[in-house]
Amino acid sequence: MTTTAHTIDPALYAAATAALRQEARTVLENGTAAAVIGWQAGRRAGSALPAIVTDPAGAEQLIFAPGCVNNLALYLTKAKKEVRGKGRLAIVVKGCDLRALAGLIGENQLNRADIYIIGIACPGVYGAHADRRLPLAEETVAPKCRECTVHTPTGVDVTVGTLPDLPAFTPREAAELARLEAMTPAERWRFWKEHFSRCIRCYACRQVCPFCYCEQCLCDRNRPQAVETTPRPAGNMAWHIVRAMHLAGRCAGCAECERVCPMDIPLNLLNRKMAKELKALYGFEAGLEPQEKGPLTSYREDDDQSFIK
Amino acid sequence: MKTITEQNLRALVDALISDGKRVVGPRVAGTMTLYEPLTGGAELALGELPRRSAKETFLPLCETILTYEQGKEAVHLGDVDPVRLPETVLIGARPCDVAAAPVLDAVFSWDYRDEFFLERRRKTTIIGLACTGGDDACFCTAMGLSPADSTGSDLFLTPLKGGSFRCDAITDKGTALLAAHAGLFADGTGEPLPLAEPALGALDLEKIRAWLDGHFEDPLWEEIAARCAGCGACAFLCPACHCFDIVDEGGTAKGARRKSWDACGFGKFTNHASGHNPRDVQPQRYRNRIMHKFKYYVDKFDQRLCTGCGRCIRACPVGIDIAAVLEEINDK
Repeated sequence: MTTTAHTIDPALYAAATAALRQEARTVLENGTAAAVIGWQAGRRAGSALPAIVTDPAGAEQLIFAPGCVNNLALYLTKAKKEVRGKGRLAIVVKGCDLRALAGLIGENQLNRADIYIIGIACPGVYGAHADRRLPLAEETVAPKCRECTVHTPTGVDVTVGTLPDLPAFTPREAAELARLEAMTPAERWRFWKEHFSRCIRCYACRQVCPFCYCEQCLCDRNRPQAVETTPRPAGNMAWHIVRAMHLAGRCAGCAECERVCPMDIPLNLLNRKMAKELKALYGFEAGLEPQEKGPLTSYREDDDQSFIK
Repeated sequence: MKTITEQNLRALVDALISDGKRVVGPRVAGTMTLYEPLTGGAELALGELPRRSAKETFLPLCETILTYEQGKEAVHLGDVDPVRLPETVLIGARPCDVAAAPVLDAVFSWDYRDEFFLERRRKTTIIGLACTGGDDACFCTAMGLSPADSTGSDLFLTPLKGGSFRCDAITDKGTALLAAHAGLFADGTGEPLPLAEPALGALDLEKIRAWLDGHFEDPLWEEIAARCAGCGACAFLCPACHCFDIVDEGGTAKGARRKSWDACGFGKFTNHASGHNPRDVQPQRYRNRIMHKFKYYVDKFDQRLCTGCGRCIRACPVGIDIAAVLEEINDK
């Protein structure tokens, strides 16, 4: 139910937009960065899209609004060589996006010194199928924002925007995860089988993921073929298991995979489950600090080996 | 003029199924609506545009085109016989989906006749439905179509006030279907419900084609498409995109040759065996998408590879809006 208390004031975004434009103009003018990666308004009501601005005058097109859903860290990966080729990049990040940058730095994909991070104080963004003509509120907010703990990013070069006390949204992901965990393994298998049966293998989940930067994805290999590439049950299941395992201990929780899935597969639920397992087994969490080695990419003599039967 | 009540439309689905036909129509599937084989008229859900297009009625997401099995003496090949494909009725398809069928006919019957596609087309009767609800991603009118366009339909339904539908037979197939189930239709007339109103104004499509002709190299491609994530969501949801891949799957003992959707946005789409990739970065791939739809296909088949359904706009992970791209070119 909508109440005024649960609606985010649009003026917050307007103020952040003004501060963002000013900052972007400055860094482009003084040569701190050759390009600023941010968001601009789209044609449709309430929509926004990633923007790569190289000209100080272009800073005026940057916005921050509830439609600024994208995790722009994607554009700093080697998968986007045409963007990286522009020179030193400034990037606008929400708190959740910052985790992906920390991960990329930890994996030696980025040098902290090579980027200028403009953190943005973020009250939340729209969910995938929200009516973007409405203000951000209980019915329109993205699931990840309901449980956000990093509204104001830290450890950035500059922060734009400020936040008042924000309304508490009702958490959903934790409840969904609890529902999943209460299932028997057979029920859980059926749950995922049903979801994965809808997968069309468009790979939107892979392509927006900042951590899917491999130049040769195992799932594209055909000599030999490791995973069936056709959208059939066996290949779909294999693809999603490969994806989940490769992201275990690395996934920053930005939930972009789930947001972009045209078939509404709840992929972040799988990511969160894996993150929880990693925490329980290894006491490890992908977080805001760059960490060079994750539990699945390192070996310790005291690693738990009880799973080997 | 013929009309049919909603109740009889559902009864028509039941009748067609009991005749042994495969009936494909919009059906609620979890959180969305999809065109899927119906098990009864009660499943027909005409309220929203299905998430995926109707093209899969003719060009399935994945189909087996042959099988192989290593026998003791020889390898046994199993040819899939397209003639065995079922008679199908596609019902309740939106004009933007149906208009893509004749567009696809052109490419699948050109230098090579794709019997899988053509046999499905031959065996399918399409009952189109005028569109009364859209959103600001819809742009069929800008593509020279309309929410009441019967292009590609065999029988066309127009929703009337009060809940029934006007039925217009467009082709012999449609007339035959109408005649075969005459008892479900009535003579009559009625006032049509207001049609959907796509948000985009008219575009000068010839001007756009002419601009594309002279701008294979242009800064616009990078401006628009450096942000492209390189997934296949736009192409897979598009009613007119038709690229496919053929792969052999299975082991040495047995397996199958399968055909499934492919997309020019994928980085590996044009990757050569040598390792060279002529479309090396995403802007070049996006350029191909636009060129193919609004220039190459027009040059070759005098048709556009876009019906303005807006699915690519709704699904794009990075907000790329083909209608906005066309508007931008149109304004140049």
